[in-house]
Amino acid sequence: MRRVLIAEPDADVRELLELTVERLGYEPVAAAEAADVGAVLLEPGSAVGHSLLRRLGDDGPPVICLSIYPREHGLEPAQSVAYLMKPAAAADIAEVLRGVLAVQPHH
Amino acid sequence: MSLRSSPTTRLGAAVSLARRRYFLTFVALAGLAITWGVMVAFDWSARLGTIALAPWAALLAFDLGVAVGALGALATATLWLVTANAQQAVLDGVQIGVRYGSMLLLGLGSGFAGQRLRESARSQRSVAALQSALIDSTLDGICLTDENGELLISNRPLRRLAAELGMPASGTVPERLLAIADAIAEPARYRARMQELAGTTGDATLDEFELAGTGRVFRGYTSPVEAPDGSFVGRIWTLREVTADRELDRMRDAFVATVSHELRTPLTSISGFLEMMQEEEASLGASGKRYLDVIRRSTQRLHALVEDLLLVAQIEARRVELQLAPVDVADLAARAVEAARPAADEKGVHVEVHRDHPPLVEGDGDRLTQVLDNLISNAIKFTEAGGRVRVETAEHDGGVKLVVADTGIGIPASEQGQVFSRFFRASTATQQAIPGTGLGLAISRALVEQHGGHIAFVSEIGKGTEVTVTLPATP
Repeated sequence: MRRVLIAEPDADVRELLELTVERLGYEPVAAAEAADVGAVLLEPGSAVGHSLLRRLGDDGPPVICLSIYPREHGLEPAQSVAYLMKPAAAADIAEVLRGVLAVQPHH
Repeated sequence: MSLRSSPTTRLGAAVSLARRRYFLTFVALAGLAITWGVMVAFDWSARLGTIALAPWAALLAFDLGVAVGALGALATATLWLVTANAQQAVLDGVQIGVRYGSMLLLGLGSGFAGQRLRESARSQRSVAALQSALIDSTLDGICLTDENGELLISNRPLRRLAAELGMPASGTVPERLLAIADAIAEPARYRARMQELAGTTGDATLDEFELAGTGRVFRGYTSPVEAPDGSFVGRIWTLREVTADRELDRMRDAFVATVSHELRTPLTSISGFLEMMQEEEASLGASGKRYLDVIRRSTQRLHALVEDLLLVAQIEARRVELQLAPVDVADLAARAVEAARPAADEKGVHVEVHRDHPPLVEGDGDRLTQVLDNLISNAIKFTEAGGRVRVETAEHDGGVKLVVADTGIGIPASEQGQVFSRFFRASTATQQAIPGTGLGLAISRALVEQHGGHIAFVSEIGKGTEVTVTLPATP
């Protein structure tokens, strides 16, 4: 089972993302339990996203950005492998997550 | 208001001396005394007659007015009569009467002429003072130059602005404008523009520039000025500080951008959970399914609105980049019509497509589709059941011309100038509660113009609207 870390400030959106991740067969984890995750789903324009990125450092897991801001705002971190704008369709999130986790070595 | 110092200054000084009060009276009295002295000394009263004294009497009357002038003329005639009597001249009553009468008429006439002239000068001075007060008390800096750009006249606000901007006090206006290029936010662009302006004599132009490091924005206008007969009088230049206007625009754009971003968080959960709920749609009753449809439609509209708001903010910030590729506009139009057909059918509006195989143009297919979607959905939206919408593409000047015409409700003539403004909605649309944000045409125009194209329309109330877009072969 792959763990997907979710760093999203809004409770409703967080719940939606957790459900989306579960339905794909992965395990959603909160920002506090950062260990052993295959991918990070993150709002780069939020405080929770910022502090998590600092904690993970440069060689952390691949980051998927899901943001209320367009890419041109320059919020995308170096570890980012995909940038989606909210509201993204569940199918788009699934496609990106599957792609990212498929190329990851098993822990 | 100030005038350029004239080369006729010396002549001006002489004129102003002559205009000094009672100068002419002094000259007239002196002349009268000298002429009379000659008359007495040489015993010439008969030889010279009243005619020798007449110019001085006339001058006196001109300077002192009708009443004093008439009395002066009679006194002059009396002076001559007394002198002539003293010199034993033989005069009959008619001779004396004619001389007195002529002198009296001369005095009255000259006095009247002088008064009229002084009144007209006075009224001219007061008009000039009012005009000067008028142009000095406006907010705009205004000046007029001759055909070479030499300053003819300027108002006080202009002199104040010129001093604030650090413009030199001499040279032609284009030269003075060029001299401050280094203080402007984009000096190279400003310099090129000012050189261009110095060379033109043609149309009116409007430019904005920002003073580097201060955030102060100025708007300059210049235009040739013609007399009613069409002859060239000069060129007017006006300068206005628009910093507050631009600040307001910036605040509005920032607000629009923030709204567009902040709406995305609730929109994400609404559309996300809606997607999940659709999986359970089968278990819903007929009314539940209908409710779900309404939520879905409204969510789509909300999403479109949020995207439009973002696009407007990006357009304002000049952050929209076109992905250029050869595009078949006729094909895009046909597809946009097919996408809009269900809505048109539902409303009972007939949509027809005419294509004349126009050439491919360099453009951004997605952005042009957005323009087409906006124009076609507007045409359907503002046309009543039974009406027609015509979408036509044809070759134009090596590029493409696209026409979207409807037989709809039309736009009132008084509102046609604002149609492309952001958030503007025609009264015909709001009165009939036709939904919309007033962003579609603003976005369409910005996208068409970014393609180097042009968008325009003609519209008549109750008859319909025809929008024409022209796109060049390459932007």
